[in-house]
Amino acid sequence: MKSVMIVFNQANTGRVEYMLDVLGIRGFTFFEQVQGRGTNGGEPRRGTHAWPEMNSCVITVVEEEQLPALLESIKKLDLRNEEVGVRAFVWDIVATV
Amino acid sequence: MAIYKSAIEKPVTTALIFVAVIVIGIYSFLKLPIDQFPEMDPPYITVMTTYPGASASEMETNVTKIMENALTSVDHLKHITSQSKDNISVVTLELEWGENMDEAVNDVRSFVDMAANNLPDNCAKPVIFKLSTSSMPICQYSITADETYAGLDKILNDEVVPQLNHIDGIGNISLSGAPDRYVYVNIDQEKLDAYGITLEQVGQVVTANNLNLSSGTIKMPQEQYQMQVRSEYIESSEIENLMVAMSPQGQQVFIRDIATVKDTIKDLSLDEKTNGREAVRLIIAKQTGANTVQVCRDVRAELAKIQKQLPTDVKIEKIYDSSENIQNSINSLEESVLYALLFVVLVVLFFLGKWRATIIIGITIPIALIVAFIYLGLADSSLNIISLCSLTIAIGMVVDDAIVVLENITRHVERGEDPHEASIYATNEVWVSVIATTLVLVAVFVPLTMLSGMAGIMFHELGWIVTVVCCTSTLVAISLTPMLCSKLLKAKKVHVDEQGNLVDDEAGKKGWYERTVVRALDVIDEYYARSLGWCLNHKFVTFLILLAFFGLSLTPAFMGKIGTDFMQQQDNGRLSVTVKLQRGTRIEETLKTARHLEARFVELVPEIQLINTSAGSNDDATIAALFSSTMNNKIQMTIRLPKKWERDRDIWTIAEILRQEMASYPEINEYQCVVSSGGPGGNGNTVDLEIYGYDFDKTSQLAEQCRQLISQLPGARDVNISREDDRPDIKITVDKEKASRLGLSSATISTYLRNRVAGMSCGYLKDDGSEYDIVVRLEEEDRNSISDILNLSIPTATGKSVKLTEVASVGEYWAPPTIERKARQRIVTVKATPYNTTLGELANAITSEVVPQLDLPVGYSTHIGGNVETQQDTFHDMILLGLMIIMLVYIVMASQFESLRMPAIIMFTIPFALSGVIIALWLTGRSLDMIGALGLVLLVGIVVKNGIVLVDYINLMRERGYELNQAIQMSGRSRIRPVLMTAFTTILGMIPMAVSSGEGAEMWQPLGIVVIGGLTVSTFLTLYVVPVLYGVMSRHGDRDKQEALRKKFIFMDLKVKKGDEK
Repeated sequence: MKSVMIVFNQANTGRVEYMLDVLGIRGFTFFEQVQGRGTNGGEPRRGTHAWPEMNSCVITVVEEEQLPALLESIKKLDLRNEEVGVRAFVWDIVATV
Repeated sequence: MAIYKSAIEKPVTTALIFVAVIVIGIYSFLKLPIDQFPEMDPPYITVMTTYPGASASEMETNVTKIMENALTSVDHLKHITSQSKDNISVVTLELEWGENMDEAVNDVRSFVDMAANNLPDNCAKPVIFKLSTSSMPICQYSITADETYAGLDKILNDEVVPQLNHIDGIGNISLSGAPDRYVYVNIDQEKLDAYGITLEQVGQVVTANNLNLSSGTIKMPQEQYQMQVRSEYIESSEIENLMVAMSPQGQQVFIRDIATVKDTIKDLSLDEKTNGREAVRLIIAKQTGANTVQVCRDVRAELAKIQKQLPTDVKIEKIYDSSENIQNSINSLEESVLYALLFVVLVVLFFLGKWRATIIIGITIPIALIVAFIYLGLADSSLNIISLCSLTIAIGMVVDDAIVVLENITRHVERGEDPHEASIYATNEVWVSVIATTLVLVAVFVPLTMLSGMAGIMFHELGWIVTVVCCTSTLVAISLTPMLCSKLLKAKKVHVDEQGNLVDDEAGKKGWYERTVVRALDVIDEYYARSLGWCLNHKFVTFLILLAFFGLSLTPAFMGKIGTDFMQQQDNGRLSVTVKLQRGTRIEETLKTARHLEARFVELVPEIQLINTSAGSNDDATIAALFSSTMNNKIQMTIRLPKKWERDRDIWTIAEILRQEMASYPEINEYQCVVSSGGPGGNGNTVDLEIYGYDFDKTSQLAEQCRQLISQLPGARDVNISREDDRPDIKITVDKEKASRLGLSSATISTYLRNRVAGMSCGYLKDDGSEYDIVVRLEEEDRNSISDILNLSIPTATGKSVKLTEVASVGEYWAPPTIERKARQRIVTVKATPYNTTLGELANAITSEVVPQLDLPVGYSTHIGGNVETQQDTFHDMILLGLMIIMLVYIVMASQFESLRMPAIIMFTIPFALSGVIIALWLTGRSLDMIGALGLVLLVGIVVKNGIVLVDYINLMRERGYELNQAIQMSGRSRIRPVLMTAFTTILGMIPMAVSSGEGAEMWQPLGIVVIGGLTVSTFLTLYVVPVLYGVMSRHGDRDKQEALRKKFIFMDLKVKKGDEK
């Protein structure tokens, strides 16, 4: 099993939820109001006067076979509007309860 | 920190805050005065102008019209009426109820001042008079005596009235029919003529021998004295022995030779009898703002004390005491409130089955009610019918919020959470929706406070009380209720057994409650879910059935089975009878009829406890005289019957028996038998047909025609015409030439006539600090026919006498009636009281059957007025109010659901409430009156609450993704209990009000009946109408929603190309 952390601009919330629904991914944990900035030119999202925007973050744990479709969809979402921005990072899951 | 969290974290503070509220509430409650209605000033202002010597029609043109023209510009004027009589013009302004009367009086004063310049020169300055509650009598007692009757006046004025005056808050005390002591010197006309003496000479002798005069100072060598002639009469017999003159034969003529001196009581002009005994009526008013009940109680106690000091034959009996009615009404309403409380608690216990939960809910009710007392105290109001009615209405609603909160907390606790944590988080989940439902109620009740007119005064208080109570209950529900839950609710008992398994201690333990009530409720849930499923599959049929039911339920209304009234008549056990005999009937003849009627009435109605009769007129202008207009040919009776539960026949039947008896007397011209009902306004429950037109003969003729036509209507009783008949006068026309030859003028002749007939006032007889009039006049046999009048001797300037016939002619003459005007037009009113029918129906019968038969010439018109008009105005206001409330409720609901469609679905239940109301009124045979209309308005708010609960839950289920019909069925099954519970608390809270038979209960019964009927039917149908409508209106919208979402998020259709990979 893999854990996917999707970090995205808040403005993408609806799209991310829709994407998970379409891909049939049920489980997720949602963090609101997270801050950050990208390594490759990603604009800072700090909720300050200078950088007022904020990100959200979804961590979802999926089976390995679901992973490619999910990553592809995230790529599509990024293509839809690159300035808004979405990134995904994948971990291995070692154990669960 | 949210309010519920602070409340739970600080239980001591929370509890003590509410203890403080309760203490302040109880303090306010103890301080509250008791009254029948909220304080209201009757909005009548009277302007009275006198113009000596003007006839009625001259008064009308020269004074009344000018005053009317000026006064029509007064602000908030509703009606302007006037009466023009000989010498006097009275213009009465009726303003809108609830206006500031002080301002209005000032306004009127400035207009009167402006108009005063246009009045004729001899006109007196107009007097402005404001009718206030303090001028209305609050209780009347009759004081009867046998031997001491002649001295009763002195006893009353010296002992009774001064003692009563000590009472706090007592206003005017007046006596009616008290015997006045008079000394009459009755002279024989023939003897006067024989001795050649004039009446004036006798009068002068009587006056001249009755004086105390200081005659200087006498100085003696050492002392100094004042000298006084003290020659006042000590005994009336002294008058007999005065010498008047020397006869031509040289004899001394004493008064005893030509006259009889009588020390007696005043000639009969007003006769008061109680149960046939000589009586004096004691009429007591209170000061403005004084507590009626307290004043009456004090009067009662004081009179009981006085009674002991009075001679044994003097008896004090109550004619009526308005405090009794108030006290009984309030007591029976207080009983209703307590029963409502009990019923509501029982309903909660039945549905929840847990005594701890019931206590938590039960505590909210008294707190919310007590806050209402604080409000009443701050608003300077009183415990009255309206405020107590409002409390009864509110009781059923205050528990709803607490129930929602409690239910959610219980659900959390049963899942195994700790009560403390559960209370915080469960309250957090529902507190917004609890406030939202309260907003709906506020949207219904706050507009009530904006009503104008008399209904406004009544419902202003109701609106505020229910709003305050509901808001308090919400506050309690989100503070005290969670706090109590966190302390009182017990976490589920569980333990871990030896094998390490979790064991539920309560599983399998089923009490009788689970076995009976829960099972029964489960059956209901199951049955309802199944029938709802059928309805959802047969929407069309369901709608047809509902529509048919709705149509059928309206038929009683279309068939005219539901009448309308202004207010229900109350059976207070008091009747007023007015009888008019032929004009000009001598008072003694009137009394004979009165005695006969009394005897017959007691025979026909053995229930009668007391009859107080007054006949004749009191020439002293007292305040009490304003409220009783007896004349020589008029008899007024007040009949007291036992309380309605102590007799078999109701008061309307008894009134009808008395009417039939009076109808059989040929000498009775007009009669009325009015059931005294303590309603506000107090102007009786009559339909007034107003006939406008200038010509007297024509309008009188039309009025008579109306009277006959209306009398033929089956439901009309006591039909009478406002215009008095012409009064027969004896008119003396002076021949000015002859009179002046004899050195007489019209003025001197009229003075001489007055001295002879009415009497010449000749000083006072002083006895024990009181003064009694001495009157010199002709003996009665010498002045009781036209020939006697013609034969009166008038002294001429030469000292001789002539007979009146030589200088004047006497003729009979009809004095024109009082000219009544309304809206600046001459008017005559025909009044009718409904019997076995309603006010609205009688008014309809009159407009449809009587008015078309009248042949109205151009310039003449008719109009229906009286209570019917007020009723129509009020209903009109109510309809507007109802529409406004529907709008507001829609707005509140639409914002709550954030949807325009959902409120519309819920609003569909309102027409079914109307069905319920019509059925309930039809079954109970009641008419729709102002109070019932109020119930209808309230229903709008109450019935939508059920719908909200249901729709809210269906929405929830839909959002959770359940399929439409499944979501609806699930919600129905889960929400039927709360819906039934809130409906039952409201319905059962109203039942004591609807079935109460206490005094005054007639007034608020319609409210109970309307709400119970409307709520029962609409609750039952809400359970089907709302889900089915939801089903009809939702399906399409939701498919579209998914489609729209897919179209919006097109990014999933993008293709990822090689180069895009990073």
